[in-house]
Amino acid sequence: MDLKEVSQQFERFKAAFVKNDFDTCANLLSQLKVLLTKFRSLPPLFENTPNAVNELLLAREIYEHAVVLSVKIEDQDAFERDFFQLKPYYTDVGSRLPPSKQEYLILGLNLLRLLVQNRIAEFHTELELLSATALENPCIKHAVELEQSFMEGAYNRVLTARQTAPHETYVYFMDLLAKTVRDEIAGCSEKAYDYLSINDARQMLLFSSDQELLEYVKEEHPEWEVKNGSVIFQKAKESTPCKEIPSLQLINQTLSYARELERIV
Amino acid sequence: MSAGAATMVSSAGGLLAMLNESNPQLKYHALSNLISFVDQFWPEISTSVPIIESLYEDEEFGQHQRQLAALLVSKVFYYLGELDDSLSYALGAGPLFDVSEDSDYVRTLLSKAIDEYVSLRSKAAESSDDAAKVDSRLEGIVERMLDKCILDGKYQQAMGISIECRRLDKLEEAITRSDNVHGTLAYCINASHSFVYRREYRQDVLRLLVKVYEKLPSPDYLSICQCLMFLYEPEGVANILEKLLRSENKEDALYAFQIAFDLVENEHQAFLLNVRDRLSAPKSLPSESVQPGSSNPAHAQNENSTAPEDVQMTDGSSAVHEADPNEVMYSERLTKIKGILSGETSIQLTLQFLFSCNKSDLLILKTIKQSVEMRNSVCHSATIYANAIMHAGTTVDTFLRDNLDWLSRATNWAKFSATAGLGVIHRGHLQQGRSLMAPYLPQGGAGGGSPYSEGGALYALGLIHANHGESIKQFLRDSLSGTNIEVIQHGACLGLGLAALGTADEDIYDDIKSVLYTDSAVAGEAAGIGMGLLMVGTATEKASEMLAYAHETQHEKIIRGLALGIALTVYGREEEADTLIEQMTRDQDPILRYGGMYALALAYRGTANNKAIRQLLHFAVSDVSDDVRRTAVLALGFVLYSEPEQTPRIVSLLSESYNPHVRYGAALAVGISCAGTGLSEAISLLEPLTSDVVDFVRQGALIAMAMVMVQINEASDSRVGTFRRQLEKIILDKHEDTMSKMGAILAAGILDAGGRNVTIRLLSKTKHDKVTAVVGLAVFSQFWYWYPLIYFVSLSFSPTALIGLNYDLKVPKFEFLSHAKPSLFEYPKPTTVPTTTSAVKLPTAILSTSAKAKARAKKESEQKANAEKSTGPESSSAAANAEKGKSSSEKDGEAMQVDNPPEKKSEPEPSFEILTNPARVVPAQEKFIKFLEDSRYVPVKSAPSGFVLLRDLSPNEPEVLSLTDSPTSAASPAGGSAPAAGQQSSSSAMAVDDEPQPPQAFEYTS
Repeated sequence: MDLKEVSQQFERFKAAFVKNDFDTCANLLSQLKVLLTKFRSLPPLFENTPNAVNELLLAREIYEHAVVLSVKIEDQDAFERDFFQLKPYYTDVGSRLPPSKQEYLILGLNLLRLLVQNRIAEFHTELELLSATALENPCIKHAVELEQSFMEGAYNRVLTARQTAPHETYVYFMDLLAKTVRDEIAGCSEKAYDYLSINDARQMLLFSSDQELLEYVKEEHPEWEVKNGSVIFQKAKESTPCKEIPSLQLINQTLSYARELERIV
Repeated sequence: MSAGAATMVSSAGGLLAMLNESNPQLKYHALSNLISFVDQFWPEISTSVPIIESLYEDEEFGQHQRQLAALLVSKVFYYLGELDDSLSYALGAGPLFDVSEDSDYVRTLLSKAIDEYVSLRSKAAESSDDAAKVDSRLEGIVERMLDKCILDGKYQQAMGISIECRRLDKLEEAITRSDNVHGTLAYCINASHSFVYRREYRQDVLRLLVKVYEKLPSPDYLSICQCLMFLYEPEGVANILEKLLRSENKEDALYAFQIAFDLVENEHQAFLLNVRDRLSAPKSLPSESVQPGSSNPAHAQNENSTAPEDVQMTDGSSAVHEADPNEVMYSERLTKIKGILSGETSIQLTLQFLFSCNKSDLLILKTIKQSVEMRNSVCHSATIYANAIMHAGTTVDTFLRDNLDWLSRATNWAKFSATAGLGVIHRGHLQQGRSLMAPYLPQGGAGGGSPYSEGGALYALGLIHANHGESIKQFLRDSLSGTNIEVIQHGACLGLGLAALGTADEDIYDDIKSVLYTDSAVAGEAAGIGMGLLMVGTATEKASEMLAYAHETQHEKIIRGLALGIALTVYGREEEADTLIEQMTRDQDPILRYGGMYALALAYRGTANNKAIRQLLHFAVSDVSDDVRRTAVLALGFVLYSEPEQTPRIVSLLSESYNPHVRYGAALAVGISCAGTGLSEAISLLEPLTSDVVDFVRQGALIAMAMVMVQINEASDSRVGTFRRQLEKIILDKHEDTMSKMGAILAAGILDAGGRNVTIRLLSKTKHDKVTAVVGLAVFSQFWYWYPLIYFVSLSFSPTALIGLNYDLKVPKFEFLSHAKPSLFEYPKPTTVPTTTSAVKLPTAILSTSAKAKARAKKESEQKANAEKSTGPESSSAAANAEKGKSSSEKDGEAMQVDNPPEKKSEPEPSFEILTNPARVVPAQEKFIKFLEDSRYVPVKSAPSGFVLLRDLSPNEPEVLSLTDSPTSAASPAGGSAPAAGQQSSSSAMAVDDEPQPPQAFEYTS
């Protein structure tokens, strides 16, 4: 009975989802989640009720939609929340349910999210949990390749990968990834150069126009200075005078330790 | 679906994510699920604690949800080991924290909560303002816990917690709601004594207990009176006693007598006298004219006849006429109870018991005497001490009378102690004490005798009247003021202190003080001690006066005397004494620090207070003066005597110290706290010390060992026999150091103290401290500096007897059972041949035969031959048969002889024995004592030893009395009449033959 009610609600949700009526979707989703808490067969209780499989399937589908929805409304926090709630359906009860078509897509999205947020450690943790077949899946593979490029510093490959995204939902993250890449480059340039000419900086940071570059500097790096046609990184200002390594002293100490050790023995 | 049952959650991540949802219902769902998984997933949850905390603090969240969040955080913190945080969140969880839940979490937090609460409460109580505010939620938890305990019937837990938390209201509730109120009350009294460390608070607890007791339908007056004694409320006790005495029921009167005996056992003289004086005269409207008369024991026996008449004269309006049977009965009972309260009745009975059951082995003394070199005055006087201790309270002074020549070698101070020794032997001989000592006492103005024997005699009088000195006080004061010889002053000060122990009599104090201010070393020392004895446990301000003088004087002896005196004044005052203790222990003068150790010991006597123990241990290892260190260790014995099992453990390391003084202190500490217990660990600890390389350590160890082993026989611990042989060997060994020889001689005396019928006991049967005994041992431990103080040990002797008394306070024939093998508790076998070891070592056959011959000759010369002295078994049994009423004797079979037909004789060893009133019941035997079901007499209180009042089930039959061979009556009682003597008049006539005459006044030929 409850199940029916939830399914009807879900149908309404799906209708709104197709219509891209995201506000309605969010409302309905919130109600759905509350309704789901009534099912005792769902995680974390996993009670073996007669309708368990149906309920689990329904719940999984709801959460899968929730994840996709969160991508569509570009809400990373919601994505994380929903993904964690969805995860037990894949890991804990995966063996009891028919595999979901969406599974790899969503896992890949999650990997991408981690990459965007620069949470590389968690990215690899997730990766370790995947089976060999999963790694073959194009969605997953895409994310893995991206990560490799990212690590190698082949940023242009990362940016071109946007075109090869396996699913439309990936685009959102790919955009974000471009920004992440830019941040990385900015960080490196800051360390590497005292200043760059605006032209060089624009190329380096992969902007198409100077205007974009100036806006970017204004928003993200207000400490940079744009002067005389070049961008001056405040390296001289912030770099504390590098402490000289007291090598001579260290050598002397080590030698005396060695001598004394020899004497003791 | 089939495998579904095994599905387990692998992560709390989903639920944690749900916490971030905006919908409160989802958060609630997540919280309640997390609670059930926290035991498993706390590591995961711990990373999200801040989120949950913010939920707890979220005002918009529902009350229940917030509490749920608090509980979850509390559990996580519990797993993280952050108990403080965990507790504070558990408090936030309110009712969700279920005290009845049976889990580690709840148990841990509860104990944490209780600890916290206890420390807060006691801090609040100590700072005596409400500055330390107690969290009401914490209080709530503890209260819920207490309520639950009470509901579950765990009253003892509830009581323990409420005592610790200082929640007297809850304590009362726990007691009154328990199913066995008497049992819980008794438990509570016990707990308050052993676990409540602050004296004031303990008094509050006791006051509450008295209140509860009084509300009961059938109050347990015995316990109430004990409590009242602790609270020092003599009116309460007097009222109860009077109520009982006025009762129609004879049984109530018996009860009153029993209460009085129990109170007397605690030896709180000032209190007892106070109670006695408050008992109103035999009239409901007390007439003042009777009061002074009745307060004087000397007149007590007249009261029986005079009192009703007095009443008649003063009180006309009353309807009572002369022959009112109630009043007559009351006045008769009053006389009796006054006799008991003044201690005279019990002393009298004890004396009779010790005299009639005396089993001392004169042969041991003889051996000692012969083996000790004549010229060695230390060993010579040690032998005299040993004799006195062996015969303490028995009035048997045969040894002295037989060896007058030998005795006369005692000169100067030795003569002082020899004379004082008579006081120990005749201890408690209140009626004739003075006439016995008459030959030695200072004769008014004549100045005939030696000052040493005169001083000794005054000291002896003090010992005889120790703690019961009403009748002798005046005489001692006169003697003190009538002399300016310091030796006599010395004796008189000690005597006065003993006789007026703890009475805080201002006049006496001033007398002694004037002696102190003469600044004579010898007299001043005794004056210091005397003042302390007088003021025992009063925490008087005079202590500062004494301290000031101690700083002023040049004489070490005086300082030492005063230091001990000051320590005595704070006896039992616990925290109250802290300022004084602090002052003394910080003093420059090591002697005063040494006094400080005694002050610690006595103020915290028998409390096992951790603070005191810590302080003492600190001084024991850090003070620069050996004397202070030694005393600090020794003082541990006093602090711990209520828990003797602890002492060997605590001092075991100290007993291996490189410093001989510390070793000595450790030995005596064990001796003091384990005295009379025969504790195996104590013996094991002392054994190596008895063969220490340093002579005085051996001395201390031997004495301590004797104290531990007193009244233990070889059958219960074989090491006793070994120890006896060791003593003999040391005494006979010519090359042994004088110090350890002296120790051995004293040890031999203590081992057989009081005719083998006393033990050293610092606690009464109700587990309260016995003032006299503790004080006695404290002063005794001073013998290091001043040998005559050895006699103070006699104050700690208490007879091991069960004495049943009937309504007339006489000893009827009454039997009871000791459900143990007789051999376990019998007297040690008498030594037969003087010394076999010496015969091997030094072939002086003449010595042994002559000794034997002497023994025989002596036996013949004596009217009442003691069985021990005979040399053969046949004559022994014959003699024993001839002996009157001995319950247990040397031979196994004969143990039954008095009461059982001899058919048992052939059996190897009966598993029980029948004892006859009055009987020797050693402490270890107490648990085997059973009263016979079908006996004519039923005890009012089933105590296994001490004085027990008996209810006569067939009062019309004639009673058979035992214990009539009393040394009470004399031809001319010079020391004033006494009520007990009057009561005993019927039996005394036939006892005259047995009365040992006072020894001849021996002359000294120094």
